[in-house]
Amino acid sequence: MNLASLLSKDRIILSLKPGKKEKVIEDLVYAIKEGTDAELIVSTLLKREELGSTGIGKGIAIPHCRSLAVDKLEIAVGRTTKPMKFNAIDKKPVSLIFLIVAPPQDPGNQYLITLGKIVQIAKVLTKKKLISKPNTPDEFITLINQVEKDLKKRN
Amino acid sequence: MSSEIVEMHLKLLFDLDNLLNDIDEPKYKKIGFKVEQEEKQSLIRTRNALLKKLPRDMADVYERLKERYQRAIAPVDKGFCFGCFQRLPTELLTQTKGMITCPNCGRILYWRKK
Ligand SMILES: [Zn+2]
Repeated sequence: MNLASLLSKDRIILSLKPGKKEKVIEDLVYAIKEGTDAELIVSTLLKREELGSTGIGKGIAIPHCRSLAVDKLEIAVGRTTKPMKFNAIDKKPVSLIFLIVAPPQDPGNQYLITLGKIVQIAKVLTKKKLISKPNTPDEFITLINQVEKDLKKRN
Repeated sequence: MSSEIVEMHLKLLFDLDNLLNDIDEPKYKKIGFKVEQEEKQSLIRTRNALLKKLPRDMADVYERLKERYQRAIAPVDKGFCFGCFQRLPTELLTQTKGMITCPNCGRILYWRKK
Protein backbone atom coordinates (compact mmCIF):
# COMPACT_ATOMS: atom_id res chain seq x y z
CA MET A 1 0.00 0.00 0.00
CA ASN A 2 1.52 3.31 -0.97
CA LEU A 3 0.82 6.52 0.88
CA ALA A 4 -0.19 8.53 -2.18
CA SER A 5 -3.12 6.17 -2.73
CA LEU A 6 -4.41 6.94 0.76
CA LEU A 7 -4.48 10.66 0.07
CA SER A 8 -7.48 12.38 -1.40
CA LYS A 9 -7.57 15.84 -2.93
CA ASP A 10 -10.40 17.19 -0.81
CA ARG A 11 -8.45 16.34 2.32
CA ILE A 12 -5.32 18.23 1.38
CA ILE A 13 -5.62 21.81 2.56
CA LEU A 14 -2.68 23.83 1.31
CA SER A 15 -3.78 27.18 2.71
CA LEU A 16 -4.72 26.15 6.22
CA LYS A 17 -5.21 29.00 8.65
CA PRO A 18 -2.65 28.77 11.45
CA GLY A 19 -3.94 29.10 14.99
CA LYS A 20 -4.12 27.21 18.25
CA LYS A 21 -3.00 23.61 17.90
CA GLU A 22 -6.42 22.39 19.10
CA LYS A 23 -8.25 24.44 16.50
CA VAL A 24 -6.03 23.38 13.62
CA ILE A 25 -6.38 19.72 14.57
CA GLU A 26 -10.13 20.20 14.69
CA ASP A 27 -10.19 21.84 11.25
CA LEU A 28 -8.34 18.90 9.75
CA VAL A 29 -10.52 16.30 11.48
CA TYR A 30 -13.62 17.93 10.03
CA ALA A 31 -12.17 17.29 6.57
CA ILE A 32 -12.59 13.60 7.45
CA LYS A 33 -15.69 13.30 9.65
CA GLU A 34 -18.38 15.44 11.16
CA GLY A 35 -20.65 15.54 14.21
CA THR A 36 -20.01 13.32 17.21
CA ASP A 37 -17.57 11.20 15.19
CA ALA A 38 -15.38 14.26 14.65
CA GLU A 39 -15.72 15.24 18.31
CA LEU A 40 -14.54 11.82 19.42
CA ILE A 41 -11.54 11.87 17.06
CA VAL A 42 -10.53 15.37 18.19
CA SER A 43 -10.73 14.34 21.87
CA THR A 44 -8.59 11.27 21.28
CA LEU A 45 -6.03 13.14 19.18
CA LEU A 46 -5.68 15.82 21.86
CA LYS A 47 -5.19 13.15 24.53
CA ARG A 48 -2.44 11.75 22.34
CA GLU A 49 -0.84 15.21 22.13
CA GLU A 50 -0.85 15.38 25.95
CA LEU A 51 1.47 12.38 25.97
CA GLY A 52 4.02 14.44 24.06
CA SER A 53 3.74 16.55 20.94
CA THR A 54 3.58 14.76 17.60
CA GLY A 55 5.53 17.66 16.16
CA ILE A 56 8.49 15.55 15.05
CA GLY A 57 10.68 18.54 14.26
CA LYS A 58 11.74 20.64 11.29
CA GLY A 59 8.27 22.05 10.75
CA ILE A 60 6.28 18.82 10.55
CA ALA A 61 3.63 17.38 12.85
CA ILE A 62 1.88 14.04 12.61
CA PRO A 63 -1.09 13.92 14.98
CA HIS A 64 -2.44 10.37 15.04
CA CYS A 65 -4.73 7.98 16.86
CA ARG A 66 -7.01 5.01 16.52
CA SER A 67 -10.68 5.73 16.87
CA LEU A 68 -13.92 3.84 16.92
CA ALA A 69 -15.27 6.61 14.70
CA VAL A 70 -13.54 5.36 11.54
CA ASP A 71 -13.71 2.04 9.72
CA LYS A 72 -10.59 2.52 7.61
CA LEU A 73 -7.38 4.49 7.70
CA GLU A 74 -8.11 8.16 7.04
CA ILE A 75 -5.58 10.91 6.35
CA ALA A 76 -5.90 14.68 6.12
CA VAL A 77 -3.04 17.00 5.23
CA GLY A 78 -2.72 20.67 6.10
CA ARG A 79 -0.10 23.21 5.16
CA THR A 80 -0.48 26.40 7.14
CA THR A 81 -0.11 29.78 5.49
CA LYS A 82 2.33 30.70 8.26
CA PRO A 83 4.34 28.47 10.63
CA MET A 84 2.50 27.90 13.90
CA LYS A 85 3.23 26.72 17.44
CA PHE A 86 2.82 23.01 17.97
CA ASN A 87 5.12 22.41 20.98
CA ALA A 88 7.25 20.37 18.61
CA ILE A 89 10.16 18.40 20.01
CA ASP A 90 12.67 20.80 18.47
CA LYS A 91 10.58 23.78 19.68
CA LYS A 92 10.34 25.00 16.09
CA PRO A 93 7.03 26.10 14.56
CA VAL A 94 5.12 23.72 12.32
CA SER A 95 3.78 24.30 8.82
CA LEU A 96 2.97 20.83 7.50
CA ILE A 97 0.57 18.53 9.31
CA PHE A 98 -0.27 14.94 8.42
CA LEU A 99 -3.25 13.83 10.46
CA ILE A 100 -3.94 10.11 10.64
CA VAL A 101 -6.89 8.26 12.12
CA ALA A 102 -7.03 4.48 12.07
CA PRO A 103 -9.77 2.02 13.03
CA PRO A 104 -9.40 0.16 16.35
CA GLN A 105 -8.44 -3.03 14.58
CA ASP A 106 -6.61 -3.18 11.34
CA PRO A 107 -5.32 -6.37 9.78
CA GLY A 108 -1.58 -6.27 9.20
CA ASN A 109 -1.20 -3.18 11.38
CA GLN A 110 -1.41 -0.83 8.42
CA TYR A 111 -1.68 2.03 10.91
CA LEU A 112 1.83 1.76 12.31
CA ILE A 113 3.31 0.94 8.92
CA THR A 114 1.73 4.05 7.41
CA LEU A 115 2.75 6.15 10.38
CA GLY A 116 6.36 5.03 9.94
CA LYS A 117 6.20 5.72 6.23
CA ILE A 118 4.90 9.25 6.75
CA VAL A 119 7.72 9.99 9.19
CA GLN A 120 10.23 8.82 6.55
CA ILE A 121 8.63 10.86 3.77
CA ALA A 122 8.31 13.91 6.00
CA LYS A 123 12.03 13.81 6.66
CA VAL A 124 12.76 13.84 2.92
CA LEU A 125 10.35 16.75 2.40
CA THR A 126 12.17 18.87 4.97
CA LYS A 127 15.66 17.81 3.94
CA LYS A 128 15.03 18.68 0.30
CA LYS A 129 13.00 21.77 1.21
CA LEU A 130 9.97 20.54 -0.70
CA ILE A 131 7.19 21.53 1.69
CA SER A 132 6.36 24.81 0.00
CA LYS A 133 6.69 23.43 -3.55
CA PRO A 134 3.24 22.03 -4.41
CA ASN A 135 0.64 24.61 -5.41
CA THR A 136 -2.35 22.28 -5.69
CA PRO A 137 -3.50 19.08 -3.94
CA ASP A 138 -2.76 17.22 -7.17
CA GLU A 139 0.82 18.46 -7.16
CA PHE A 140 1.09 17.48 -3.51
CA ILE A 141 0.00 13.90 -4.25
CA THR A 142 2.42 13.73 -7.20
CA LEU A 143 5.23 14.92 -4.96
CA ILE A 144 4.44 12.33 -2.27
CA ASN A 145 4.33 9.65 -4.96
CA GLN A 146 7.75 10.70 -6.23
CA VAL A 147 9.35 10.82 -2.78
CA GLU A 148 7.88 7.42 -2.00
CA LYS A 149 9.29 5.92 -5.20
CA ASP A 150 12.73 7.37 -4.49
CA LEU A 151 12.66 5.93 -0.98
CA LYS A 152 11.69 2.51 -2.31
CA LYS A 153 14.62 2.58 -4.76
CA ARG A 154 16.99 3.45 -1.96
CA ASN A 155 15.80 0.64 0.33
CA MET B 1 -26.67 11.54 32.54
CA SER B 2 -28.06 11.35 29.00
CA SER B 3 -27.41 8.25 26.95
CA GLU B 4 -25.49 10.31 24.37
CA ILE B 5 -23.01 11.47 27.00
CA VAL B 6 -22.61 7.93 28.34
CA GLU B 7 -22.00 6.69 24.80
CA MET B 8 -19.39 9.40 24.22
CA HIS B 9 -17.58 8.52 27.46
CA LEU B 10 -17.61 4.84 26.55
CA LYS B 11 -16.23 5.49 23.06
CA LEU B 12 -13.52 7.81 24.33
CA LEU B 13 -12.57 5.27 27.00
CA PHE B 14 -12.20 2.68 24.26
CA ASP B 15 -10.09 5.00 22.10
CA LEU B 16 -7.82 5.81 25.06
CA ASP B 17 -7.38 2.12 25.89
CA ASN B 18 -6.30 1.53 22.30
CA LEU B 19 -3.91 4.44 22.62
CA LEU B 20 -2.43 2.89 25.76
CA ASN B 21 -1.90 -0.37 23.88
CA ASP B 22 -0.24 1.32 20.94
CA ILE B 23 2.30 3.33 22.91
CA ASP B 24 3.68 0.08 24.33
CA GLU B 25 4.12 -1.48 20.88
CA PRO B 26 7.80 -1.93 19.97
CA LYS B 27 6.90 -0.94 16.41
CA TYR B 28 5.50 2.34 17.66
CA LYS B 29 8.62 3.17 19.63
CA LYS B 30 10.75 2.25 16.64
CA ILE B 31 9.02 4.91 14.53
CA GLY B 32 10.38 7.42 17.00
CA PHE B 33 7.42 8.29 19.19
CA LYS B 34 8.49 8.00 22.77
CA VAL B 35 6.07 8.42 25.65
CA GLU B 36 7.37 9.02 29.17
CA GLN B 37 6.08 6.98 32.12
CA GLU B 38 4.68 10.08 33.77
CA GLU B 39 2.49 10.92 30.78
CA LYS B 40 1.37 7.33 30.46
CA GLN B 41 0.32 7.29 34.12
CA SER B 42 -1.62 10.48 33.55
CA LEU B 43 -3.47 8.86 30.64
CA ILE B 44 -4.28 5.85 32.82
CA ARG B 45 -5.77 8.22 35.42
CA THR B 46 -7.87 9.87 32.71
CA ARG B 47 -9.25 6.54 31.49
CA ASN B 48 -9.98 5.45 35.06
CA ALA B 49 -11.89 8.68 35.65
CA LEU B 50 -13.89 8.07 32.46
CA LEU B 51 -14.69 4.54 33.57
CA LYS B 52 -16.07 5.89 36.86
CA LYS B 53 -18.43 8.16 34.92
CA LEU B 54 -20.11 5.17 33.28
CA PRO B 55 -23.08 3.39 34.84
CA ARG B 56 -21.71 0.74 37.18
CA ASP B 57 -22.98 -2.28 35.24
CA MET B 58 -21.61 -0.94 31.96
CA ALA B 59 -18.24 -0.21 33.53
CA ASP B 60 -18.08 -3.74 34.96
CA VAL B 61 -18.96 -5.34 31.63
CA TYR B 62 -16.40 -3.15 29.85
CA GLU B 63 -13.59 -4.05 32.22
CA ARG B 64 -14.41 -7.74 32.11
CA LEU B 65 -14.46 -7.76 28.31
CA LYS B 66 -11.25 -5.76 28.12
CA GLU B 67 -9.54 -8.32 30.30
CA ARG B 68 -10.82 -11.15 28.16
CA TYR B 69 -10.41 -9.75 24.66
CA GLN B 70 -8.24 -6.62 25.08
CA ARG B 71 -10.79 -4.75 22.96
CA ALA B 72 -14.17 -4.62 24.67
CA ILE B 73 -16.09 -2.99 21.85
CA ALA B 74 -16.68 -4.44 18.41
CA PRO B 75 -18.02 -2.47 15.45
CA VAL B 76 -20.91 -3.95 13.52
CA ASP B 77 -20.22 -4.32 9.83
CA LYS B 78 -22.78 -5.60 7.31
CA GLY B 79 -24.68 -7.35 10.07
CA PHE B 80 -21.60 -9.06 11.46
CA CYS B 81 -19.95 -8.61 14.86
CA PHE B 82 -16.44 -7.45 14.02
CA GLY B 83 -15.10 -9.10 17.17
CA CYS B 84 -16.05 -12.72 16.48
CA PHE B 85 -17.21 -12.38 12.85
CA GLN B 86 -20.53 -14.06 13.55
CA ARG B 87 -23.68 -12.86 11.85
CA LEU B 88 -25.90 -11.02 14.30
CA PRO B 89 -29.59 -11.95 14.63
CA THR B 90 -31.79 -9.54 12.70
CA GLU B 91 -33.87 -8.54 15.72
CA LEU B 92 -30.68 -7.23 17.28
CA LEU B 93 -29.89 -5.10 14.25
CA THR B 94 -33.07 -3.09 14.68
CA GLN B 95 -32.59 -2.56 18.39
CA THR B 96 -31.37 0.96 19.11
CA LYS B 97 -31.71 1.56 22.82
CA GLY B 98 -29.14 0.90 25.53
CA MET B 99 -25.97 -1.14 25.50
CA ILE B 100 -26.18 -4.06 23.10
CA THR B 101 -23.79 -6.96 23.34
CA CYS B 102 -22.99 -9.71 20.85
CA PRO B 103 -24.93 -12.88 21.74
CA ASN B 104 -21.99 -14.96 20.60
CA CYS B 105 -18.86 -13.35 22.10
CA GLY B 106 -20.39 -10.83 24.50
CA ARG B 107 -18.54 -7.79 23.18
CA ILE B 108 -20.29 -4.43 23.32
CA LEU B 109 -21.54 -3.69 19.83
CA TYR B 110 -21.07 -0.39 18.08
CA TRP B 111 -22.90 0.77 14.96
CA ARG B 112 -21.01 3.32 12.93
CA LYS B 113 -22.90 6.20 11.44
CA LYS B 114 -22.74 6.18 7.69
ZN1 LIG C 1 -19.25 -11.16 18.61
